[in-house]
Amino acid sequence: MQGGGGRKEVNMVEKKRIFTPVSEKEVTRAIVDSFARQFIEYVESDCLIIGGGPSGLMVGRDIALKGVKTLIVERNNYIGGGFWIGGYLMNKVTVREPGQKILEELGIPYEKAVKGLYVADGPHACSKLIAAACDAGVKFANMTIFDDVVMREGNRVCGAVVNWTPVQALPREITCVDPIALEAKFVVDSTGHDACVVKKLEERGILKTVGFGAMWVEQSEDLVVEHTGEAHPGLIVTGMAVATTYGLPRMGPTFGAMLLSGRKGAQVILEKMKKV
Amino acid sequence: MNNSFHHIPAAIDLYQEGNLEGLNIEDLGRYLKEKTHIPFRLHGDIYKGIPEERVEAVAKEYARIKVKDPGKKFNLGSPLQAEIDYEKRRIRDPNWRIFGILYEGVWYQKVILGLIDKGEFDLNRCSILFTNQLFGTWDRDNRRYHARVSIYGFPHLISTTGLVEAPAKPKEFYLKRQMGVPVEFLKEEYQGRFLDHGDLRITEVLKGYAMQALFFHLSGEPFCEDPDCRLFNSHWQEEVLHAQIDGQYEFCPRHEGVLNELRNHSI
Repeated sequence: MQGGGGRKEVNMVEKKRIFTPVSEKEVTRAIVDSFARQFIEYVESDCLIIGGGPSGLMVGRDIALKGVKTLIVERNNYIGGGFWIGGYLMNKVTVREPGQKILEELGIPYEKAVKGLYVADGPHACSKLIAAACDAGVKFANMTIFDDVVMREGNRVCGAVVNWTPVQALPREITCVDPIALEAKFVVDSTGHDACVVKKLEERGILKTVGFGAMWVEQSEDLVVEHTGEAHPGLIVTGMAVATTYGLPRMGPTFGAMLLSGRKGAQVILEKMKKV
Repeated sequence: MNNSFHHIPAAIDLYQEGNLEGLNIEDLGRYLKEKTHIPFRLHGDIYKGIPEERVEAVAKEYARIKVKDPGKKFNLGSPLQAEIDYEKRRIRDPNWRIFGILYEGVWYQKVILGLIDKGEFDLNRCSILFTNQLFGTWDRDNRRYHARVSIYGFPHLISTTGLVEAPAKPKEFYLKRQMGVPVEFLKEEYQGRFLDHGDLRITEVLKGYAMQALFFHLSGEPFCEDPDCRLFNSHWQEEVLHAQIDGQYEFCPRHEGVLNELRNHSI
């Protein structure tokens, strides 16, 4: 009676279980195997985007849609950069005309604030943009920090040296973790104000940036889009990194230029890759 | 020549650069003629007819004279190719709408001088360029660059963007902007109290600035201390609107007298 009753209990438990039982080692193997396969595949890509903010995501989404093999390197765990929030930590993001057309294209709800200015929920806008990049086929290496550029003949940029982000935070005695190199036909600097890739070229004496100009006028957004492009053979600069590279005026917290700059950067890459 | 004037120009030459939304340059020319009896000539786009081989050189000059840190005295830069390419696109498009870069004003004047055909440029002509680009000059007192509406000299430069950006808006505007209120909201809130891009009042206001240029040409002194006179050197938007639109007269009695004298001389 006791034994029979026991079997019945087991059957009941099995019926109640929602998930299939899998051992810890299988979980570990799945993670390592999937990560390693993707990493090996993306050690060489068509385009390596440094910085997963709005302009980098936009570049990635647009080129991946055209079949360009794209990897975004992001130093944080989260993707999206400053696109989650607007000014003063308020989670509403604004775009000026014609930035709302991209919001429409990505299926992001928005409303008109005043003539020429539109406002959307930061979390909704940012998550939709990330999803659009993922859906287009972009892959990510998050918690990965840019360390240096890989250069070839004629000083052409053709990759990046990266490391785990936490390595920076480790005590000096145990930070002897060598970085690794990733190669690509094009590298995009979409690292925002820091312009990390461009600054690295400057350190090597190859390129000279000028830093920010003052916040003179609202027209800075136009200037960022206008100056988006190839700053050095193999290196495309987008988003706020453009302002740092060319000493353009600072901008307020509107994101239209980030999206349009990303789109223009994508066009430049596609033209250069003869994919258009 | 009358003793009151250094040089009475035989003609006023009006050039333009970029999209001058809100400015009716022909109307402005007619106003100058009516006030001075000096004929005017519209030259249109300053880059009209510029040979292709000169575009690169001029673009490079512009790219070198950008003020990138207004807190530091300007040095001629070594531009990146993308900066030169930007200037080339700007030169080639007579309807160029993008502005926001601050150029060193005195150097900008030199570049424009180089573009005016030498055959046309002499002291008998008063040459004025209206531009949508922004320039500034170094202020020795507070040791930084300030955007300007105009630079008088040979040639005279008058900027529609400078008119919007250089004279200060109401103080509350800047405080609220620092608090993160979008500029578009502030423009609605303070509507009418300052000039905006494409403002219908721009032509009327710039008539006064063109007269300042002419007075510089005539006497070396473009300004008047009377805040009701069009020659008043305004530092606030509200002063601009008062001097150019709401003042009790167009010109103060003294400058009205000078203009009368000029008209009589020109007859």
